Amino acid sequence: MRFLPHTDSDRRAMLDTIGVSGIGDLFADIPSEFHIEKGSLAIADALPEAGIVRKFTRAAEQNRNATNTRYFLGGGTYHHFVPAVVDYVISRGEFLTAYTPYQPEISQGTLQALFEFQTMIARLTGMDVSNASMYEAATATAEAALMARRVTRKSRVVMAGSVNPRYRAVTANYLSRLDGEYTQVDMGAFGTDLDRVIAAIDAQTACVIVQYPDFYGSVYDLAELRAACDAAKCLMVVAFSDISAFALIESPGAMGADIAVGSGQSLGIPMGFGGPHLGLFTCKQKYVRQLPGRVCGMTTDVNGKRGFVLTLSTREQHIRREKATSNICSNQGLMCTAAATYMTLMGDAGLATVARHSAAALHSLVSRLPAHVTAATGARYNETVLSFVDHAARQRFLAAASADDIFAGIPLEQIEAGVEARHLLVATTEMVEESDISDYLAALEVSL
Amino acid sequence: MTIPADLKYTKEHEWVRIDGDTATFGITDHAQEALGDIVFVELPEIGRTLEAGEAYAVVESVKAVSDVYAPVAGDVVEVNEALEGEPELVNTDPYGAGWIARVTIGEGAAELMSDDEYTTFLEE
Amino acid sequence: MSADTTFKYSATAGIQHEEPLLFEHAHEAPSSISLPGVDGEISDALNHFARKDAAGIPGLSEPEAVRHFVRMSQWNHGIETGFYPLGSCTMKYNPRVNEQVVRLPGLAHIHPDQPEATAQGVLALLYELQGWLGEIAGLPYVTLQPAAGAHGELAGLMMIRAALDARGDTHRRKVLVPDSAHGTNPASAALCGMHTVELKSGADGRIDLDELKAHLDADTAALMMTNPNTAGAFESDIKEICRLVHEAGALVYGDGANLNALVGVARPGDMGIDCLHINVHKTFSTPHGGGGPGGGPVAVNETLAPFLPVPRIEKQGDTYVLLQHADTSVGPVLGSVGQIGVLLRAHAYISAFGRQHLHSIAEDAVLNANYVLRRLQGRYHVPFPGLCKHECLLTDEVQERHGVKTLDIAKRLIDLGFHPMTVYFPLIVHGAMLIEPTETESRETLDAFCDAMLDIADVCEAGDTDILHEAPVKPFRRRLDETQAARKPVLVWPA
Repeated sequence: MRFLPHTDSDRRAMLDTIGVSGIGDLFADIPSEFHIEKGSLAIADALPEAGIVRKFTRAAEQNRNATNTRYFLGGGTYHHFVPAVVDYVISRGEFLTAYTPYQPEISQGTLQALFEFQTMIARLTGMDVSNASMYEAATATAEAALMARRVTRKSRVVMAGSVNPRYRAVTANYLSRLDGEYTQVDMGAFGTDLDRVIAAIDAQTACVIVQYPDFYGSVYDLAELRAACDAAKCLMVVAFSDISAFALIESPGAMGADIAVGSGQSLGIPMGFGGPHLGLFTCKQKYVRQLPGRVCGMTTDVNGKRGFVLTLSTREQHIRREKATSNICSNQGLMCTAAATYMTLMGDAGLATVARHSAAALHSLVSRLPAHVTAATGARYNETVLSFVDHAARQRFLAAASADDIFAGIPLEQIEAGVEARHLLVATTEMVEESDISDYLAALEVSL
Repeated sequence: MTIPADLKYTKEHEWVRIDGDTATFGITDHAQEALGDIVFVELPEIGRTLEAGEAYAVVESVKAVSDVYAPVAGDVVEVNEALEGEPELVNTDPYGAGWIARVTIGEGAAELMSDDEYTTFLEE
Repeated sequence: MSADTTFKYSATAGIQHEEPLLFEHAHEAPSSISLPGVDGEISDALNHFARKDAAGIPGLSEPEAVRHFVRMSQWNHGIETGFYPLGSCTMKYNPRVNEQVVRLPGLAHIHPDQPEATAQGVLALLYELQGWLGEIAGLPYVTLQPAAGAHGELAGLMMIRAALDARGDTHRRKVLVPDSAHGTNPASAALCGMHTVELKSGADGRIDLDELKAHLDADTAALMMTNPNTAGAFESDIKEICRLVHEAGALVYGDGANLNALVGVARPGDMGIDCLHINVHKTFSTPHGGGGPGGGPVAVNETLAPFLPVPRIEKQGDTYVLLQHADTSVGPVLGSVGQIGVLLRAHAYISAFGRQHLHSIAEDAVLNANYVLRRLQGRYHVPFPGLCKHECLLTDEVQERHGVKTLDIAKRLIDLGFHPMTVYFPLIVHGAMLIEPTETESRETLDAFCDAMLDIADVCEAGDTDILHEAPVKPFRRRLDETQAARKPVLVWPA
């Protein structure tokens, strides 16, 4: 077997050293009734490397992908451009095959990359500090609710109904086994009605969670919510799906967020059918000791040279066990390195271009819609909801678009159960060209 | 290892200095040494009412964390804010500048030992 | 030390480049990326919210960026660089073909919400993986959703709690956890609204049946156990343990962190475990990436199957579907189906061994660990003598008499070219050193490591221990001040 270095004579010699006569003796402590016959499991026969490549290639070819089609799909996962250098850097064995940097002397590469990642994420979100990642945005949102409960020593969580339904579902699920109330504030339209959110805040509220831009792409001012949170002494948690927005519009930090969480998938990470993505977690400096997950900090070595270590470990499960701030251990370390590489290649200017092109594509699309399709109103970044007269009209359009290699949007009811089946959640990125929009509009016309 | 004669001690290695109706709390030389370099002390809120034996503070080193329990009951009237910037005071001067909190004494006390009793307790 | 160690101990003080932080590069580089897309107007409504100050992300040109990260990479030790015997972490070789296939456009550049009809290929691979993991665990019902081991623990405990609640046992909230357990076990229980009671390990490092019996009662929801345990020993009383727990009306949660010892040889489900998470980044070779991403699928038996998270991957006729809702489900624990790219790598690893060779993973892993144990026992204290499984546990008891601690031994190994073993875990022995060689290491590598450990033991006995206390001296940075880092945390570079 090609991954196993031993020859049979190696094995023989090693068994002799150990002082047993056969491999089976090494498993004598497992009661014999539990030994299974070799080769008896219902698993496919072994494949040579070429066979694996063939099998995966055939499977991949059964999927339609974004490299040779046009994607208008968002809802938390976006088809942004991934520079070749990003994949090269995270393919290097020194980054790819390293463990968590528990031995800092031989992990400075991972650690400095994490420190740069934390710094850039804090700057882009306008927050004081970032941790070294969570799994993805939905669990990061749940962890933000839990952290707000620890910080405020209150237990009620208020969730805006315009937060991505998946973030809401995971957060509600995490909270449902703990004491404390969870309140979801329903919205009347495809946007965020802050008056309704503010009305739901009371003295027991630990935090309010809103999404900005929200699930429907809406961009709005959070100043009133900030004031309401101050009055009620609760935290303002801001979630986001596409961090590229903050190269163009005001950041969650500038809007006054105490905790900002979301997805970093847009920063050089392919869609990958939903993962691995990158959960981001940022907060104000004064709350750092309540952060979940690992963080990297700067220090010096015995020679006084600057270096980096994982720090504030007493928050974590391996030391504080049941009192830990989270149960998380493995994070998305490699995706942090990917995001750091991506941001380094882009710089402020590149990030701003990504954001501007993403927003411009949406503006181009919605400003030319035919009369029988309406777009949600108000400021939108790169995502909106298109509404059709009925289900049949939308399905005719999706079929026509699909025939022209356009994935035209996500049927909203697919993510948000219960809404009428005549809406599409539509997202644009810099990967959408003007000609793609023309083709999109043409498909709208023919499907009338 | 120092164990001042004018203090009382608990089995959890806290000390208490009783002065009229107020009491000052801290952790012992033995406790700070066992924990190693202290990196953070989570202080109680002023005004909080403590039962005897209640956890009122948390002391952290790089790889360990320990709750600190109130030797006697009382209302917190003062905390050692210097520890926020210099938690190492708990290491360098556990019975002096490394004190943690001051309370007005209420009803009830944990089992307290004299310096001799604490010395014997440590030897055991 | 043997005469010529030039090639045996690979670490040298070769050229490593200092590299400033990105933020310290002297010049302001323009973005070097040319970007596609619509170079047009944005709406006035959006423009109203325009960011006033740039974020402060300093761009580098592409050649500078590559050099920046490549230099940093060279400060790391990875499994491709050298031996990485971290106990309980299963640092095995990560096959390159796995990296190649997950980057196929039809697997990398697909959206989780594109129509299922356009994603049948990836769903087929995932569905097949589900079946294989169920078969390996002996627990046929599988969710691929949990993103890591600890996340799998949470999902598993949610299912256990739901199953108990469904039969009216809503008071069962106590989880028994051996004192040798991973810290994630009690942390996951707390997150699931349960409380833990620690079981003191017996003199042999295993679960003590009397201790277990004393704590099993009508409030007990589950026993969480790792088998083989974190001392590297198989819990030979497993059948009786599971019987006792079930008799008390509770369920048995298996922490699959150590599944590498059993894969293809024995199945946790056959032993009475009700629920097992599988760390694919350990057992099935998906790379650790400097901390993640991982994958923590959970396999369960019939009792727990109704409560599996959603979405679930199911096959209806010839079509694969994502089932978004099930009445009894504990709900979603992640915003997607799972860490797909990680799971596909696990599929490729299992494919390479296949039905015929899967057992050789466990066999060689256990052979290697026992070989290391045999070569080191006598010179290092072995707290729990006997056979080990895929990892072996030593302590610094002998070396401590010479003033040398586990930490010194670990740091000296760095100078000799090895990543240290897991240190100071499990907590049930003083100065623990937990060594897990995995199946992908050669005898030559194991011998070099054992020789290094024996050399260190010699140095201790000779009393010339400065070289140990000062270690490491070869890496780019030496012992780092963790106290300073924790006292005044600096987590971002100043603006």
